[in-house]
Amino acid sequence: MEDKLQAILDGAKRGAKEVVTRADLEAFKARLVGPKGELTQVAKGMGAVPKEDKPRLGRRLNEVKKEIEAVFGELLGEIEGRELADRLGPPIDPSLPSPDGRRGALHPLAQVREEICSIFRKIGFSVVEGPEVETEYYCFDALNTPSDHPARDLQDTYYLPENARFRNVSKKNRERYLLRTHTSSVQIRHMLKTKPPVRVVSPGRCFRRDTADATHSANFHQIEGLYVDEDVSVKDLKALLDYFIRSLLGKDARTRFRPHFFPYTEPSFEVDFSSSHLRKLGSRWIEIAGCGMVHPAVFDAVDYDREKYSGFAFGMGIERIAMILYGVDDIRYFYQNDLRFLQQFAR
Amino acid sequence: MKISTHWLRRYIDLNRTPEEVEEALTLIGFEVEGVETTGLPELPEVVVGEVLASEPHPNADRLSVCQVTVGDDGEPHTIVCGAKNYRVGDRVPVALPGAVLPGAFRIKESKLRGVRSSGMLCSAGELGLPGGEHGLLILENRPDVGSPINAVFPGGDVVYDVEITPNRPDCLSHIGIARELAAYFGLDLRYPQFRHALAPEDEDDDRLLDDVTVDAETDCPLYLAHTVRGVKIGPSPDWLREALLAVGLRPINNVVDITNFVLLELGQPLHAFDAAKIEGKKLVVRHAREGESIVTLDEKERSLSRSMLVIADANKPLVVAGVMGSMDAEVDDTTVDLVLESAYFRAGSIRRTSRRLGLSTDSSYRFERGVDPRGVRYAAQRALDLILEIAGGSVAGDEIQAGEEPVLEQEIELDFDYVRRRAGFDITDEIIQGILESLELQVSRRETSDMEVRWSVGVPSFRTDLEEPIDLVEEIVRVHGTDKIPESAVRSIGLEADDDFQVVFNRRAAEYLAGRHFHETYNYSLRSGDELGLWFSNAGVDALKLSNPLSADQSHLRWSLIPGLLDVLKLNRHRKTGGVRFFERGRTFRECDGEVLEVNSVAFVILNPPEIRFWKQREPADFYTAKNLVFNLARLAGIDLEAEEVTPVPMFNSAWQEGHSARAGDVSRGFEARMGLLSLPLLKAYDLEGIVIAGILEILPEKLAEPPARPVFEPLSAYPAAERDLALLAPREEPAENVRRKLAAAGEKAVGDKFRLEQVTPFDLYEGAGIPEDRKSLAFGLTFRAPDRTLTEDEVNAAFQVIQDELENEPAYRIRK
Repeated sequence: MEDKLQAILDGAKRGAKEVVTRADLEAFKARLVGPKGELTQVAKGMGAVPKEDKPRLGRRLNEVKKEIEAVFGELLGEIEGRELADRLGPPIDPSLPSPDGRRGALHPLAQVREEICSIFRKIGFSVVEGPEVETEYYCFDALNTPSDHPARDLQDTYYLPENARFRNVSKKNRERYLLRTHTSSVQIRHMLKTKPPVRVVSPGRCFRRDTADATHSANFHQIEGLYVDEDVSVKDLKALLDYFIRSLLGKDARTRFRPHFFPYTEPSFEVDFSSSHLRKLGSRWIEIAGCGMVHPAVFDAVDYDREKYSGFAFGMGIERIAMILYGVDDIRYFYQNDLRFLQQFAR
Repeated sequence: MKISTHWLRRYIDLNRTPEEVEEALTLIGFEVEGVETTGLPELPEVVVGEVLASEPHPNADRLSVCQVTVGDDGEPHTIVCGAKNYRVGDRVPVALPGAVLPGAFRIKESKLRGVRSSGMLCSAGELGLPGGEHGLLILENRPDVGSPINAVFPGGDVVYDVEITPNRPDCLSHIGIARELAAYFGLDLRYPQFRHALAPEDEDDDRLLDDVTVDAETDCPLYLAHTVRGVKIGPSPDWLREALLAVGLRPINNVVDITNFVLLELGQPLHAFDAAKIEGKKLVVRHAREGESIVTLDEKERSLSRSMLVIADANKPLVVAGVMGSMDAEVDDTTVDLVLESAYFRAGSIRRTSRRLGLSTDSSYRFERGVDPRGVRYAAQRALDLILEIAGGSVAGDEIQAGEEPVLEQEIELDFDYVRRRAGFDITDEIIQGILESLELQVSRRETSDMEVRWSVGVPSFRTDLEEPIDLVEEIVRVHGTDKIPESAVRSIGLEADDDFQVVFNRRAAEYLAGRHFHETYNYSLRSGDELGLWFSNAGVDALKLSNPLSADQSHLRWSLIPGLLDVLKLNRHRKTGGVRFFERGRTFRECDGEVLEVNSVAFVILNPPEIRFWKQREPADFYTAKNLVFNLARLAGIDLEAEEVTPVPMFNSAWQEGHSARAGDVSRGFEARMGLLSLPLLKAYDLEGIVIAGILEILPEKLAEPPARPVFEPLSAYPAAERDLALLAPREEPAENVRRKLAAAGEKAVGDKFRLEQVTPFDLYEGAGIPEDRKSLAFGLTFRAPDRTLTEDEVNAAFQVIQDELENEPAYRIRK
């Protein structure tokens, strides 16, 4: 009997090599452990075995059974593996590129705008927006710009016809609509609906009636900031711009204030920076922003107490900063949108 | 404005290097746009040498080897030279080793073709002098051997091109800039002194000019005329010619040059008339008459309008006041007697005239920014003094004055503590007072009865930009030096304010689209009216037109972001960059019932090109790609487009392909989305091959004022769902969403408040064989669930039956079983 069991086991191991499909496996199982299977037959014969041999042969029978079941398990694993491989197809070539393409990217000007906004958010500024179509009042009058100031000239500023009507851009009186030349108008609108303290930056698109060339564009982007509180000083303005420029251009960047003139600030300055960081530009002073203490006349226009409050404002061109940061030498690249250009800023 | 150092030295002892002067100008608010050096620069290692001998170079035909003495005790220098124009014995400039010639050209001892050369013999050009590069500069007047070349050629002038901001007309003059530098460097300012008595020598009956009348007092508050008899017109002396040439002015004749000199010295424009050409011995300051014209000195005939101020004689206008004179009264070689005008014209009047004539001159530039009324007489006298000095003649009569000098001086009360508060740092009273006085402001201190100190600052007439205390703060900070503003920490106090929600939405929208393989683009906001007409209704064309466009292709506000994005697709296709997915966010302008709305827009385009060449292909984008993107964008704004009717795009908007595009919402109610395929004929007209899938979401900025409300948690049912499928035939034209809503409504009714129909989802659409031609088959999956228990088969079946019965009652539908 023992020999018989051994023969069945050996036969099973040999027979396993013939099993390929699930059906083969079923037939193979039936041959061995089915109702008429070889092993079943032997098990049935256990009754006739002498009593003293029973424990030994019974143990042996169980061992063989387990071994055969292990063979079944192995075969099933192999068959399932083959079936799965058939479903997946041949192995992939991991070196081929994905057809889904790369992640897109924000436009470099949008990235710079966001970077600047983040720097100011850290010190408690929030970001506000306003209309691109503005009125003479919000763009000039409220900003202490005299009625015969050259910036208002038809040569320099785009106007809309007298009869133009913009439903969601409010007028102060009956002044003309125009395309804003700076985002300071947003600050006026913001101050008119907020009481001090104020701390906002207003990024956005602006327009000047310029012929496009390497450094001029029909529209461009600015970001302007406003800080109003009690007892704000020139020293605070300098501290803020020092912080900003170091944040943007590196800890070694230095700033210089050059007195300048803007109608809406007094005193007014232009801000230069120099940074060994931007090697291409050497250690020259490079103009980066305009700023100043808010002119008391501007506070009058928005009904802030000019004795109680003081503040400062600053503004800069986003294109200009992007050109400095990335080393772009022609502003028109920003408006061509050549993928080869845009992709360089994908991160 | 060009500022000459030689010129400045007439008024201040400016003993600073050009670099120091440039920096000082910059730091007190006068940006230096360029620095020009005329004449010979400082060349310490260049001296006069004499050629003692010259022999041909042993290894080079074109070179010779010279022995040159520079007067020191040592051996003569051996110098290799390429020039031929000298003879032994000539004296020439020698650049010794160590010299740095213009262009940062450093001279070193070196071997030239095997012969050691210690120095260089120089041409005029090599020294930075006008003249040729070829040939040595032969010093014909034989200066002493060894003397520095700078001793041979007098020092050059350094001329700064300075930007003067519009608030500082007083600095459109050398005296003005000298005053600023004097204040900054702590120097004394000297005004020019007169050498001649300016009163008429004897009473003369035969006057050159009888009368000056001003018929336009508002535009000309003050007019002074001086007369000079017997001048001799001729070329100006060298100092005057050089002064003018240094700042880029062409010398003309002594009298004209003097008026120009005084203009650039004091900032007051003057005009000299040939007295013989003034008819009727009178000058009238009046507005031009209808139909009058004048031939200005630039030889152009200009027709005048009634707003323009002129200086006329008895018959005709002679000068466009403050702008330019005419050929008719010009001083020329034949002139003997002069009338000299010095006036104060109103800035606005001159500006308007200058603009209308398209003629800007040194004179008009100064008048339109404002001249110093107090300086009108002084400038006339200065010119008179120079005329007598240079052109001779004698004063012919008393000054004739018309009008009165406007009083522009004012007094500003200044609290020095206010200065310190606004500056944010300590500046002593002494420094403040010193700075103000250095700018020629009159500072007076008084004590009130209760022992408080009050300061009062008198502002001279040339500083009309100083109106209130804050203006004086600027002067103090500026002259004190912005480099003295101390460093400090940023003042940062938390405010209860967030970014505008539109800022947040726009940022999220961009990040979403970038994550979906789109690249962001920036396109111009101005587009052409023709394009607008082609894409949109003609009604919009006028509403969006600028009144003063610069060009026809940028004449209208953009009404949509899509045309710009198509330009981008086209450019990238043309350049074969492979770019097919782009987006833009920005403001657009929508015409609505004759009014315009400024709209916050986000739009994207996907180009399905006619051929795709890639080893593996995805399903191409289609309408539903766009719908998904647009709906997701709307969700970022808190807008649920699922709740909106999705309808075909109205026909007037010819941008979209009929039957393959849709819109939801209406911008006049706050928001609007359009999505799908762009019109194929339009793309063809656009010369863009392939299919373009696009989407645009427009939201009024005011609808993005507040972020969407915070969500409120709804508990989840822990029990299993029961699902049923339902297929029905519906009219082919009926939107599936209609059917779905009816189904959902029937379901709500069927389940009542006992449990819930959670979802009704379309999972199959079939049209064609086996189905009537005007019908389609739609199949929906229904998901039921109760919050508090497992649903039984029976109750789900009962509800499902009620739903089917309900729909069977609709004659348009037939349930498929």
